[in-house]
Amino acid sequence: MGWKDAARLADVAFAEVALQATYAFRQGNTVPPTGGRLLVERSRRRVAQSKALVAGLLGFLVFGSALLLRSSAAGRELIVPASLPVGLYQAGVLTGLVGLEVALLWWTGLQALPTFLGSSAVAVLEALPVDRPTLRRVALILYLRLFDLPAVVVLVATPLFVGLALGPTAGLATIPASTSAVVFALALSLVTGRFFVRQIQGARGGGGSAVVRWAYLVLWLLPAFGLLAFITASPPFFRAIATLANPHLAPTTEALVGVYPFALALLPPLASGGSAALRTSAAVPLIGLAAGVFYAALAGYAAVWLFYSVVEVGSVPTAATAPGRRSMFELRPQRPVWAVLTKDLRLASRTPGYAFLVLLPILDAVALGLVSYVGAPGLSAARAIALGAVSTAALLATFFGPAFFALEVIAQSYGRTLPLTSRSMALGKVALVAGIYVAAGGIVLAISAFRVPAPVLFAAFIGAELPAVIAAGLLELTILFQWARRRGLPVTNLYAGTWNVILVAIPGIVVAGAPLATFLLVGLGGMAVVSIAELALVGLLALRRGAT
Amino acid sequence: MSEGATAPPLEVDRLTVDYGTHRAVSDLSFEVRPSEIYGLLGANGAGKSSTIKVIVGLVRPSSGTARVFGDDAVGDGIRAKERLGYVPETALLYEALTPREFLEFVAGVRRLDREAASERLRTYAAAFRLDDELEEPIATLSNGTRQKVLVIAALLHAPRLLVLDEPLNSLDPRSVRIVKELLVRFVRSGGRGVLLSTHTMEVAEELCDRVGILDRGRLLAEGTLEELRTRALRGDASLEEVFLRLTRQDEGLDEAVASLDGP
Repeated sequence: MGWKDAARLADVAFAEVALQATYAFRQGNTVPPTGGRLLVERSRRRVAQSKALVAGLLGFLVFGSALLLRSSAAGRELIVPASLPVGLYQAGVLTGLVGLEVALLWWTGLQALPTFLGSSAVAVLEALPVDRPTLRRVALILYLRLFDLPAVVVLVATPLFVGLALGPTAGLATIPASTSAVVFALALSLVTGRFFVRQIQGARGGGGSAVVRWAYLVLWLLPAFGLLAFITASPPFFRAIATLANPHLAPTTEALVGVYPFALALLPPLASGGSAALRTSAAVPLIGLAAGVFYAALAGYAAVWLFYSVVEVGSVPTAATAPGRRSMFELRPQRPVWAVLTKDLRLASRTPGYAFLVLLPILDAVALGLVSYVGAPGLSAARAIALGAVSTAALLATFFGPAFFALEVIAQSYGRTLPLTSRSMALGKVALVAGIYVAAGGIVLAISAFRVPAPVLFAAFIGAELPAVIAAGLLELTILFQWARRRGLPVTNLYAGTWNVILVAIPGIVVAGAPLATFLLVGLGGMAVVSIAELALVGLLALRRGAT
Repeated sequence: MSEGATAPPLEVDRLTVDYGTHRAVSDLSFEVRPSEIYGLLGANGAGKSSTIKVIVGLVRPSSGTARVFGDDAVGDGIRAKERLGYVPETALLYEALTPREFLEFVAGVRRLDREAASERLRTYAAAFRLDDELEEPIATLSNGTRQKVLVIAALLHAPRLLVLDEPLNSLDPRSVRIVKELLVRFVRSGGRGVLLSTHTMEVAEELCDRVGILDRGRLLAEGTLEELRTRALRGDASLEEVFLRLTRQDEGLDEAVASLDGP
């Protein structure tokens, strides 16, 4: 069988992937009372919608980057040092763009891979008389289809818009960067997916094992978090690039040019303006070119590796761990609210997409806390850093409600038979959201305490925003429970239910953001009043709507 | 309103379940009496699972009621859910949790006492020989082991009604024997009841005090084995023969079997 037959088989298998991504029947969700064909069509539509949203976001980033590349010298000086040569500025913008493209595609992969693995679409085909090369092709096509529209946007829109901004030569010179971004993101997704199957999904239970699992997940997520740190730390990044504008660089500084994706991002300005546009040592373009060739070769190797490895990850069942210590027969039941919280945390510790949610604000808090060492130690700087850290953690928290609600589709056909009230479930999830927010705030406080001694200010900030974060989570869950009552459990995972997440997160962002805006206008007291008032209002609403 | 003291373990009254335009259960009424194992029999698609899903709160019926010891099981049905233990046909659980973590969650939701829950786990895990598997993720366990975990989860809170949907499907002979013994002992004490859905006639014949035969969503016949034999006019027939006769599935059966030699 050739590629045509493989594509036909992959089309059938993808319907299963989309169905499981949307309805998670293999994970124990209940079947909605609608016709089977309608469910299949709806799941395809939802997956396409979510991919279109990610593709739209990528398109927006590409368009925004093109505008930045076209900006005048005066415009550039608003965001970067005036001494930064235009070529290095362009390389910096493209580095950010390519980094974000890798991050977003990798993020898509993180969301889609558990579904891809859980659908057993490849494993089912393995039982049929399909030869190994065809199976490999089917697996690859299926895998590519998880990313298709966003990947096409990266591959096509990036060179096109860079070409429009800097000229056709620069556009062509962007192709290695955009192609490598797609290949590396797909390979990273697969590497982390394989790691997930082998090291996390099959890990034994128990307190010590949980610590190891979370440690694994932190290590694994650090590269993705590096990009968030890049956004947070873009001013120092551009200052670092500016140091390259020196004809006599130290070899250690020159070596930094070879870092991915900066080396590839240097190619378009080199193609459009030559080495003169960089105003740096003669070695920098050479290092950039050499590293660019290396990354292109690495991307080629990664593409070949992908071809041979997707089938292995797609069909291998979770490996049973070697027998360890004997089982404990001691059960430690908690109250329902804490039982829900603990269950969600345990599931998150073995599910990368959810672990990411728990770890992202905490790692972000670490980065923002470290940033305080770069900034001035005055009270106004401390206030700015506290506001930034709390704002980021609070706004990130608005995505946790829908995300942790998505966990409920797992084993829904069993969980709903338990005497668990919506109140306990909602409060358990809100407690988890609030806990993550407080942990993130506490980390900022602890890290920055040595540099910016304003613990009361930080603590007051965190405390003033806490009721609003709880209110945002409660509001989102109330809406989701209302939807669940009317039309069945709404899908809120980011691969098939992005639209639902956005719809629910908007009121959450408004509620979490209102006290922050109030702080800017009237200060901490007003912030606390608004925050508490919001919690009281949302609490009443939740009581009336029956979520609690 | 709760009538727990006098109401039977389960009352299903004029229950109708529709999926879109398809009617899965039609005007179904039956009850499980105290100290009784009631078997729900039927061919594939007869409506057994849909009926059970209403009783355990997974499906909302188009009309009719289901009551567990007098408490409404339709809708939230929290009180009904507190009193029943459920073993589903397919063991779709929280794959990322270990059995102990899963049982801890169930015990928490059911507000169980630590000592009592641990003691029950110890008893059932020893009976099912689950010494080594309680700390492994459920994703790595065999179907039979998952089924054992579900049986333990259903019994952990000492329920008053057990609802079991093909509970013996994936179990090994030893575990089958244990579950059968558990069910018999379960109904012997304190007016408890069991609703057992199966299409394995031998199991129903061995365990059930009364059976109800479903056909295309309707209750075709109900009673003890003797009563059903009388109704089917087959005095010495097995339950399988009675079932085939009453559901008219014996029509053309010999020809169908004979045709298997054809190809």
